[in-house]
Amino acid sequence: MTGAGRGAAASGEHAPSASPSDAARREPLLELKGVTTHYGPIRVLRDVNMVIYPGEMVCLLGGNASGKSTTLKTVLGIVGVSQGELWFRGERADGLPTSERIARGMAVVPENRRIFPKMTVRENLEMGAYLRKPGAEFDEDLAYVLELFPRLGERLGQLGGTMSGGEQQMLAMGRALMSRPKLILMDEPSMGLAPLFVERIFEIIKQVNSRGISVFVVEQNANVALAIADRGYVLQTGEVVLSGPAGELLANEGMKRAYLGET
Amino acid sequence: MAASAVVPRRRPWALWLVVLGGLGLITWRMLYLHGVNEAFNAAFFAGAVVRSLQLGSLYALIALGYTMVYGIIRLINFAHGEVFMVGAFAAYFLFSRTPFSWPVALLVAAAIAFGVLQFLNFWRGRARDPIVLAGALVVFAVVAFALASTQLGWFWAMVASMFVTGVLGMTIDRVAYRPLRGAPRNSMLITAIAVSFFLQNFGILAFSNRQTPFRPASFFTGPLQFQVFGEPLFTSWMIVLVPSVTAVLVVALTLFVTRTRLGKAMRATAQDAETARMMGVNVDRVIATTFLLGSMLAAAAGVLWGMTFGSINQPAIFGILPGIKAFAAAVIGGIGSLPGAVVGGVLLGFLENFLTALFPRTEYFSGITEYKDTFAFLAMIVILLVRPSGIVGEDLSEKV
Repeated sequence: MTGAGRGAAASGEHAPSASPSDAARREPLLELKGVTTHYGPIRVLRDVNMVIYPGEMVCLLGGNASGKSTTLKTVLGIVGVSQGELWFRGERADGLPTSERIARGMAVVPENRRIFPKMTVRENLEMGAYLRKPGAEFDEDLAYVLELFPRLGERLGQLGGTMSGGEQQMLAMGRALMSRPKLILMDEPSMGLAPLFVERIFEIIKQVNSRGISVFVVEQNANVALAIADRGYVLQTGEVVLSGPAGELLANEGMKRAYLGET
Repeated sequence: MAASAVVPRRRPWALWLVVLGGLGLITWRMLYLHGVNEAFNAAFFAGAVVRSLQLGSLYALIALGYTMVYGIIRLINFAHGEVFMVGAFAAYFLFSRTPFSWPVALLVAAAIAFGVLQFLNFWRGRARDPIVLAGALVVFAVVAFALASTQLGWFWAMVASMFVTGVLGMTIDRVAYRPLRGAPRNSMLITAIAVSFFLQNFGILAFSNRQTPFRPASFFTGPLQFQVFGEPLFTSWMIVLVPSVTAVLVVALTLFVTRTRLGKAMRATAQDAETARMMGVNVDRVIATTFLLGSMLAAAAGVLWGMTFGSINQPAIFGILPGIKAFAAAVIGGIGSLPGAVVGGVLLGFLENFLTALFPRTEYFSGITEYKDTFAFLAMIVILLVRPSGIVGEDLSEKV
């Protein structure tokens, strides 16, 4: 059994620990070891352990205020680690500033897209590649992003803020891809989008993942996320209460009741 | 999803009507005055226009510093007027024959070297790098020597003062504002006032508290005379120099902000600092650069101000009035917007100079020259009531 078995989510059938597939034999890409974080005096995360292996897609589920976004911010270094360790690509990362973590291969698609509204689509994409030298590689990546999102190609000169929510989501994803990341962190990519768009976004996420880029996605929309993820973690009030392969989480009774909207 | 209602533009012709009506009224007023008294001729009004442009350029240069800092950390940097003052005095000591005393030169050089150390640390990314330390030492020696012994022409004095003052701005950010990044905004505002007081008193100690003649040997401070519709206009070459230098600096700043990588990072940080950080932008370095550039522009304004008026006021008060007027200009144009600062500055110059020319002292009327300072703040209040985002600024709604 993974997780502490507290709370409603885990009270049903327990998921077995993450299956030791071939992934387990590889070096983890990202590892959180007993991470605790605070906002001032308020503890947000408690003793969180997570692993992401290269090429994996892992989703992080949980209700409101369960600490999902904080987990991402901790990985990025926006929020500091008060206890525990964070490892990225075999290197201790919890002392590194955000820019160093980005330079080492993280990229983020923030909550609510957070594109730069008064910059053009092209400038937004350039900001994604901020830490890399401009040159031939930039054009290559730009071509790849525009192939993935042809819509952006039509609008390179348009201001980011004038685009629709779905287009902004595409831009935010394209921007993250421009840094040639090893790991993309996504915070609620489906938020505020029409169902049809959500499906397309997740299709693209899967496509990106199939190119070997690891994806760590925070989602409220558990059904859609688990459908394409390899593994999942469930957070509740800052603690991991459940984890395992996506299929098992989907079948878990407690999960069904708490997050999947089934009875 | 894309069914956002298009907001109808409100009567675009209304603005043009106001502008044309205003120009009409001004023309009528000028013709009327000319009819009353022959002295109010074309040369009189042309003189008012060029002086407006000159003063407006100075306000614009200072206002850019306010607007840049506000745009990036939402701080109204009340110490900016004092930075302007230091810029003028630094240049004064560089071109005048009365150099700094050695102790003051050493003190100033030490402060500057500390700033350089900070700056280079940012760029090399490592603390206590031997190259950085060596660089700071060299700067310390050169600055101390230069302050204590050199005498420069106005141009090199201005360039050197821009450098010195820019580093001062960065040092202020490092020492006074950066430790307060996470603090409530009012804490930073109060600190800014404290920094302003500190610099005023530093100025009294370092520069002595008296009005200082500011007359570098220069062609541009010499007289200029030309004909406007057959009437002679006597003025100085400064009416050419000030707007030209301003234009060059504004163009350079615009190119920096739109074309360079750091400039783009600056715009990104102004729009959304947290996301910029997530793209790998070193936000502290961007903020330091903002202070560097804003203070450099203020220093240039200080030098041009001194040359225009032939003297600079006591350090305790010199920065105050130009400072808050430029702040008013930034608000009028739309604080946070670079074109807004330029528009607001020039507009304020016209409000002060041209408006007083339209209501001159006559036999029956004492004129409004003595009230000209009031116009800046009146205009600011009106703008805040009617269009709080300023003339050029778009939306003030802040993302949280």
